[in-house]
Amino acid sequence: MIIAVSGKGGTGKTFVASVLVTQLRKTFPEAAILAVDADPDANLAFALGLEMSRSIGDVREQLLAEKDKLAPSVTKREWLDGQVFEVTIEGPNCDLLIMGRPEGRGCYCSVNHLLRNIIDSAKDSYDHVVIDAEAGLEHLSRTTTRDVDTLVVVTDQSLNSLKTACSIRTMSNDLKLNVGKLLVVGNKIRDGQADLFQSKAQEMGLDIDAIVPFDEHVTELDLEGRPVASLKEGSPALAAVTELGNSIFS
Amino acid sequence: MFEDIPVEVGIVHEGERIRQQQMHVEFGGPKVPNKFELVQMKDPKEVKDGKVTVVGKDLADFKVGSRTSFALILHTAGKKMEKDLEPVLERRIHDFFNYIQGVMHLNQRYDIWIRVNKDDVKKGLTLEHLGKITIQLMKQEFKFIEKMEAFIYTDEKEIESKIANARDIYEARDARARTLTDDEVDEFYGCILCQSFAPIHICVVTPERMALCGAISWFDARASARIDPEGPNFVIEKGEVLDADKGQYSGVDEAVDEKSGGVTKEIYLHSMFGLPHTSCGCFEAIVFYIPEIDGVGLVNREYMETCVNGLKFSQMAEQTGGGEQTEGFLGTAVEYFRSKKFLKGDGGWTRVAWMPKVVYDAIGDYIPEEFKDKIATEDVKNLKDLKSFLEEKEHPLAQAWMKPAEEEAPVEAPAPAATEIAPVAAAPGALMQVPAGAPVMTLPAATVPAGGGFKITFKNARIYADKVIIQKVKE
Repeated sequence: MIIAVSGKGGTGKTFVASVLVTQLRKTFPEAAILAVDADPDANLAFALGLEMSRSIGDVREQLLAEKDKLAPSVTKREWLDGQVFEVTIEGPNCDLLIMGRPEGRGCYCSVNHLLRNIIDSAKDSYDHVVIDAEAGLEHLSRTTTRDVDTLVVVTDQSLNSLKTACSIRTMSNDLKLNVGKLLVVGNKIRDGQADLFQSKAQEMGLDIDAIVPFDEHVTELDLEGRPVASLKEGSPALAAVTELGNSIFS
Repeated sequence: MFEDIPVEVGIVHEGERIRQQQMHVEFGGPKVPNKFELVQMKDPKEVKDGKVTVVGKDLADFKVGSRTSFALILHTAGKKMEKDLEPVLERRIHDFFNYIQGVMHLNQRYDIWIRVNKDDVKKGLTLEHLGKITIQLMKQEFKFIEKMEAFIYTDEKEIESKIANARDIYEARDARARTLTDDEVDEFYGCILCQSFAPIHICVVTPERMALCGAISWFDARASARIDPEGPNFVIEKGEVLDADKGQYSGVDEAVDEKSGGVTKEIYLHSMFGLPHTSCGCFEAIVFYIPEIDGVGLVNREYMETCVNGLKFSQMAEQTGGGEQTEGFLGTAVEYFRSKKFLKGDGGWTRVAWMPKVVYDAIGDYIPEEFKDKIATEDVKNLKDLKSFLEEKEHPLAQAWMKPAEEEAPVEAPAPAATEIAPVAAAPGALMQVPAGAPVMTLPAATVPAGGGFKITFKNARIYADKVIIQKVKE
């Protein structure tokens, strides 16, 4: 199962993604799970309680900087193969791959071509993949396997994030992603404002599939930089995303 | 064929990743300093065919989750075996280990990283099995192997005592690979990765000519063509040598013709005049012709300043790229400046007058000794100063215009200094249509590069003229 979580920065998509990973682990204790941090502004590693590592972007830059130093018969493909494995963080509940910054100047055609193949085949060795994707869906558009079983679009109560949600939906069509199911999730929704929010969304042509209430526990967590796993059972936001997870997994 | 092996062996298991939670033991990898694998050709009398010797602990002796040093040495013999084939066989260890269910293998040589999962050890897999499988697959794949013997080490001391020798062998092989020439191989490789940007461009990758992006060497292209023959890299049979200096081969011409959709019929691999290699858009550097000195300058993509000819990299890149054959502008990899065949058809280093210092420093060791102090860098900012510089350093280019008057080269001669525009010296010919018999030029867009710090751009221009004369102003 491949689940991608997208949305405007600040809407809480990293929170949603990391709860989904935790939930997947609980639901499928034996499964191999890969989390992909494909938003340079996000920090999925923190949310999952994992140590940071070098990113794919770092690997790409290192190759371009040091390619003349590689032994001539060591091909870039195998060097990258090894590096992608090396930067994959192996956690107790899931593995994590950090995509990092997009490329700088110079030609990345061949490096990206190789990385695409390697990452695609890496994904195949996992039962479930959760991608924290920035609103531009750039990472998804660059991979060759464009199958996403569920695309979760996270929006908060702001008009801007609703607009972004609309454009993500349009983009997933434009990019010819093969999305099985698209779910729009309203996050950080204040008490008593759910109806107003939903009617506003409807005006813009968005059906809201799930509401995650505003939750002080999550705000505290964010501020203190604690992983999602340290959220207490009573958290209403955790309960709502867990329910969302169950509906996706079943 | 593997009936006595307790796990499956087959290509279906390739690409299988063994994650930390699944692994029983990890051999080598980034956290273990001593590890290597090596194939060595031996006298047939010294090789005990099919024998596997294990020195140190076996798989089941390791605690779950441990990591340790590892070495695999294969001795081989056969009448048709050659020293040069050692690395070819060695590279296949990676594939063959990956064929084994529950075994993952990454990298090669002193970077190997192997994981064996818990299930394999439970089923009774041993290191001897790994050796036996490797020998069998090798012999199946390479019929010239008559004998092969394996030595597997997990004993730290043994590995330490052997690793220095292995490193020496790798270094000797690298030295050999760096000097591999176009003449020594039968196959070049093509690359059409950039056709999404430059649909008629094809890169010809040879041992002495890396792809323009600097990312695909002959070895890379060979590996890629083997893994995915239908992919962007493919074999080009060299065919007949048509011009050894300029680097023209019948096989290359056929491939270029086919893959460019017939737009480019013939190319020279090592000359920027006549039939130059085309350029996509992502070359690392440009070699640009400087007509005033009949020499060339080199500039890298990162160089932001104006070059000695009054143009910036970005301005020249417009001329260079797009997949058309453009005389006078050549997109290359920086690595190509290190090639012994660098512009061989044009006189090589005798023609190079200028390059940014950062390029000079990067390739300095490869510039022939006699030219090292004769090449200008950004301290020389215009053509007038460049000429003085070349004269002062007695660059071979300067000798051409410093000869006595009666032998004066046409560059400075009064008569040819007036150039008729009809075939504009370095404008991309493909963009111009000159209707026969009419003095009309229709230019969708054409930039005429000029040496004096300016450029003339015609856009949608229709020019009616009996004659256009560009006259060099006498200084």
